[in-house]
Amino acid sequence: MRPFSYAVPATLAEAVSALAASEPGTKILAGGTTLYDLMKLDIEAPPAVVDVHRLAELAAIDTTRPDEFSFGAGARMADVADDPVVRRDFPVLAESLAKAASQQLRNMATVGGNLLQRTRCGYFRGGPAFPCNKREPGSGCSAIGGLDRGHALFGAGDACVATYPGDWAVALLAFDAEIDVIGPRGVRTVAVGDLHVEPGDDPQREHTLAGDELIVRIRVPVTPSGRGSTYHKIRDRESYAFALVSVAAGVAFDDRGVVEDCRIALGGVATRPWRSPAAEAVLIGERLTEATARRAGEQAFAGARPGTGNAFKIELGIRAVGDALRIAGERAGR
Amino acid sequence: MSTPTRRVDAREKVTGAARYGADRTSPDLAHAVFAVSTIGKGRVVNVDTAAAEAVPGVLTVVTRIDPAELGSPGFLMGGGYGFQSLQPLTDDRIAYRGQPIALVVADTLVAATEAANLVRADYEPEPIATDLDDEGAETLVQEEAIPLPFLADIVVGDADAAFVKSPVRIEASFDLPRQHQVPMELIGGVVEWRGDTLVVHEGTQNAGALRGGLARQLGMDLAKIEVIAPYTGGGFGQKNSLQPHVGPLALAARRLGRPIKFVMPRTQTFHQASFRPASRHRVRLGADETGRMLAAVHEVDQQTSRHDLFPSMSTEITSRLYGIGDFRGRQRLVRTDVQTPGFMRAPFEHPAAFAFESAVDELAYAVGQDPVSLRLANDTDVDPVTGQPFSSRHLAECLRRGADMFGWAGRTHEPRSMRAADGSRIGWGVAAGVYPASLAPAVARVTATSEGKVTVGVDGHEMGQGIRTAITLLISEDLSIEVGDVTVYVGDTRVAPQHLTAGSWGTATALQAVHAALRELRKHLNVADSDPVDLGAAVAATGQTSVEVEATTIAPGQPPEIIEHSRAGLVSFAGPVYPGFVAFSFIAHFVEVRIEPTTRRIRVPRVVSVADCGRVASPVTAASQLRGAVVWGIGASLREESEVDPRFGGFANATLEEYPIPVNADIGEIEVGFVDEPDPMLNPVGVKGLGEVAMVGVAAAIANAVFHATGRRQRRLPIRIEDVL
Amino acid sequence: MTAIVRGSGGNPANAADEGVCLALGTMGSAESTIASACRTETTFTANGRPVRVELDPRESLLDVLRERLGLTGTKKGCDHGQCGACTVHLNGRRIVSCLTPAVQVNGQAVTTIEGVADADGTLHPLQEAFIDNDALQCGYCTPGQVMSGLACIAEGHAGSDDEIREYLSGNLCRCGAYAGILAAVRETARRLNSPVSEG
Ligand SMILES: Cc1cc2nc3c(=O)[nH]c(=O)nc-3n(C[C@H](O)[C@H](O)[C@H](O)COP(=O)(O)OP(=O)(O)OC[C@H]3O[C@@H](n4cnc5c(N)ncnc54)[C@H](O)[C@@H]3O)c2cc1C
Ligand code: SF4
Ligand code: FES
Ligand code: FES
Ligand code: FES
Ligand code: FES
Repeated sequence: MRPFSYAVPATLAEAVSALAASEPGTKILAGGTTLYDLMKLDIEAPPAVVDVHRLAELAAIDTTRPDEFSFGAGARMADVADDPVVRRDFPVLAESLAKAASQQLRNMATVGGNLLQRTRCGYFRGGPAFPCNKREPGSGCSAIGGLDRGHALFGAGDACVATYPGDWAVALLAFDAEIDVIGPRGVRTVAVGDLHVEPGDDPQREHTLAGDELIVRIRVPVTPSGRGSTYHKIRDRESYAFALVSVAAGVAFDDRGVVEDCRIALGGVATRPWRSPAAEAVLIGERLTEATARRAGEQAFAGARPGTGNAFKIELGIRAVGDALRIAGERAGR
Repeated sequence: MSTPTRRVDAREKVTGAARYGADRTSPDLAHAVFAVSTIGKGRVVNVDTAAAEAVPGVLTVVTRIDPAELGSPGFLMGGGYGFQSLQPLTDDRIAYRGQPIALVVADTLVAATEAANLVRADYEPEPIATDLDDEGAETLVQEEAIPLPFLADIVVGDADAAFVKSPVRIEASFDLPRQHQVPMELIGGVVEWRGDTLVVHEGTQNAGALRGGLARQLGMDLAKIEVIAPYTGGGFGQKNSLQPHVGPLALAARRLGRPIKFVMPRTQTFHQASFRPASRHRVRLGADETGRMLAAVHEVDQQTSRHDLFPSMSTEITSRLYGIGDFRGRQRLVRTDVQTPGFMRAPFEHPAAFAFESAVDELAYAVGQDPVSLRLANDTDVDPVTGQPFSSRHLAECLRRGADMFGWAGRTHEPRSMRAADGSRIGWGVAAGVYPASLAPAVARVTATSEGKVTVGVDGHEMGQGIRTAITLLISEDLSIEVGDVTVYVGDTRVAPQHLTAGSWGTATALQAVHAALRELRKHLNVADSDPVDLGAAVAATGQTSVEVEATTIAPGQPPEIIEHSRAGLVSFAGPVYPGFVAFSFIAHFVEVRIEPTTRRIRVPRVVSVADCGRVASPVTAASQLRGAVVWGIGASLREESEVDPRFGGFANATLEEYPIPVNADIGEIEVGFVDEPDPMLNPVGVKGLGEVAMVGVAAAIANAVFHATGRRQRRLPIRIEDVL
Repeated sequence: MTAIVRGSGGNPANAADEGVCLALGTMGSAESTIASACRTETTFTANGRPVRVELDPRESLLDVLRERLGLTGTKKGCDHGQCGACTVHLNGRRIVSCLTPAVQVNGQAVTTIEGVADADGTLHPLQEAFIDNDALQCGYCTPGQVMSGLACIAEGHAGSDDEIREYLSGNLCRCGAYAGILAAVRETARRLNSPVSEG
């Protein structure tokens, strides 16, 4: 690890000014489970970090409003996952967090930092033995033509095929969440759908926030399909693993039992959290059956571009979508 | 006397008081880190250490050591001490990615780590071969390459001819992946000089080899080297020999005049130590229509390195599973560009049994027989290879009792015939396992005091298998003293030679020596072997406050000089073929898998395993050992593969995140049983081995269960979701 | 008592006199601090004992506990949050100490395995249950398992076998002692949660 200087602002305002005044490359430190990890691997080397982990202004979890849940960026994953209201009214959110990492990590990691976690691509994390455009621009991408069982089917380019590994952002994307961001130029709101970017020819750029901008909170509109939702995650072992394929799904039925709202987003298979409006459209106005769920799954994976070792995730993903919709449908009371 | 329900060192372990190698701290400790090669093979042309040396706190950056100062440790399986013969840093050759190119020593770990990351090197790379079939991989016939009797082909009768004539023929090829041991304790420890004595604290299964190897490498007298390893945080074969950091650390510690701590980063443990090599097993099995096995040919290709020949003993066990009249077993070794592979729990026997016991299951289906009945019908009393009797063999009892405990009678034979309420496919599978019962020389020194307390120092290493508990129980029972009055020293070259503890001979070996020492003690105390003894009084009656005795034991048929070989730190075990008999442990595993109807996740809710390991020396730790081995079998069958990208060499998924060993949620019910029949022919304590046989056959039982659930044979491990979609 | 550990060379020493190597700056309020790459003073409690250390901000809590405070019961199995061997409690909640920069625990309470048994050596019921169920073999993962198990019970995540398995999955055990670990946590949770007397 390279030396860095460490600052602990006492208030959000101080954090903003510290960031504004800091050297280029200064990073926000929250739980550190991504940032400090990558610093240990010598992959990130910020000259300075600004620690926002214990800022009270970022900690609040508010599930009292009927129209919107709000989660402070500094809230711990474990606290949101265990929140009884979230578990009851928005299971997909709680499950996306509970099925991530381990309880120890969830006690440390924040729901804000979680959004900006970086890929687990082994070549990226493996260091200088491997060319990697994301780590070393212009060096090439080892995953293309290499061990790509964990790499993306969607949103990849010629420069990088690394999967966005997080779960929470997938759930948020399916339910139109937004984040409030503060920076020296003021406050703005960004849709989670506009936060992450595909690698294109600049895989180093992963999101649309400026270096001096800080996520304050995440807001999720409360909808009936949130109650009828699930986060279905298929991994290589039962727990403590990133997704091979994951599906955030939600459905709501009208009183005739026809699907009137449907949400489908995919994790573990794309370079960013991946929503599938086309798959959602398959079900809207239809009854949820094994056959329609299968069609939605097929639609979600239409256009997938596998590499050498990840084509199985298409069929796996189609089935996972089907199962997720079934679970969501049961919860929606159908 | 207290009942043997507790592990004697459990208290230290649950309080954090147990001291592992790297738990030493001292005021003037320095910290060391390796910088490693980024190429898969070739030459280092230049190592640039300027930036590393400029890091505040860096004490030294070593890029080259004169071979005169640090020689080769020699290869463990070639009369040496090292996991491989190659000692990094002694020349410019790079044999594998991840090989050390510099050793950085600094005041602090952060400084050493930062500096190691700043070491840059120029290389001349060469093409590499990493896989059995790669261009440039070189295949050798083992019996020609290493002309030693126990590595020769196993030939009984004319198996090829008998196979061709057999009415029922099964022929299949099985591929097994490279795997890593990944004990939770990282490799490393503290190396220090006390005057001209070199003291090494490091978790190991072979303190004797560390001492012997360092003596050879540094040109030192054995007596001037102490290796101390009271606790090893898991070995599983990884820590069975001298690793390449210890020699350079010893030199650096001497030059700097400071003790040095070295804790190998997890990723480096995938490269700086051995691993289970890739292997391919071709099995041909001939039988009559009733399922009576007539002939078997088992041919194995196993990966090795360029610089060492790591032999395979795969067919030693498959030739003993059943009474097959004509058998041919052949091993070939394939040289590839890797560090030298080596032992990992049931090193050859797990792959061999996966292949052979899968083929036996295929035979059962080919002849329409129940897989348990078929195995029982092919049992044997006589070793088909030597014609000698087994010292004891209770495989049939393992199968019968296991079938009973599992409820095997409720199984329907047809594949895909069992289904759970939630639509999951249920599969029930069985497989047998066998493992050589070896023994090694050992020295036990027992001191008994007039207070009725006993201290023993003996060959052996405590790495979780419970050897300290088994020794304590033996002494406590023999002398009728409390468990708390026994103190056991193992893993310490100051008390015994510390021969390698592996291959499941550890407990039997140590117990045999302690048993002999106790006989010696009783002689001194004038108490007959079978009489009850009041120890304190008996010692007091000698007029002394304490009595010390020593005993040395060897395996049946070994020459007495073997103990000198062992004292030198060299591998000295014998078995499974002894004068007049052969000795093996046996096991039967019964597995239930459930496969989800849609996404096809494979789960193992239930396993029953029954072992014949002779007398069960320590019931509590033996049960844990067996359960743990089943967990290993589940990992080895459904999860673990060390992946290689042929463009880069080395191992790609070299972290605990990407190399997926089982977690708690992967493990269901594991019920274990023991035949618990002493084997007095092998040794007076009647103990065979357990740790390794326990894993043999689990993979086949799982694969057979997957077949039963799906109707599809799995001939490659691990069986992953994409294989059953 | 305040244990003071000085930074120079990373070695423990008792030096109550000397100041920190770099002045702590302020950023507008009394509570906020900034420290350079060199060293920053950090105070926290370890098993109830106040500790003051001068830290390089790069140092992990795990390394500080082990190398500076001599609390070697906490183990390193991966150094990257992937095994759970380094689990400790921070303000009563389980975390992995390898991914915690030690400077981050300033002002907080750390509990390690050494702080679990009573001062007189009486083991915690979970430690007893680990022994009774032989929930360990080599013992290397055990401190982390115990810390995790304690937290699992305290969090209310020990309601069923499946829940315990899931919430202990952040602690790898290569010896495969999972069945015993499950039994130990199950048994202790029942014991601690069952009311001492009815009415
Ligand atoms: C072994 C392991 C397993 C894991 N498994 C999973 C998994 O299965 N699923 C999953 O989703 N995740 C998983 N994770 C990732 C983990 O969830 C993330 O590392 C964590 O959520 C990041 O949050 P943090 O608070 O620790 O962020 P940090 O590491 O502190 O920061 C991460 C990034 O976000 C930035 N940042 C942090 N807070 C803010 C803010 N308020 N505003 C702007 N930028 C900010 C930082 O500068 C940094 O770039 C795993 C991690 C590990 C180590
Ligand atoms: S997939 Fe992306 S992160 Fe991985 S090696 Fe290629 S460029 Fe790097
Ligand atoms: S350059 Fe490797 S995944 Fe992007
Ligand atoms: S060395 Fe083989 S498991 Fe023990
Ligand atoms: S050492 Fe911290 S999680 Fe492995
Ligand atoms: S007891 Fe050895 S790793 Fe768990």
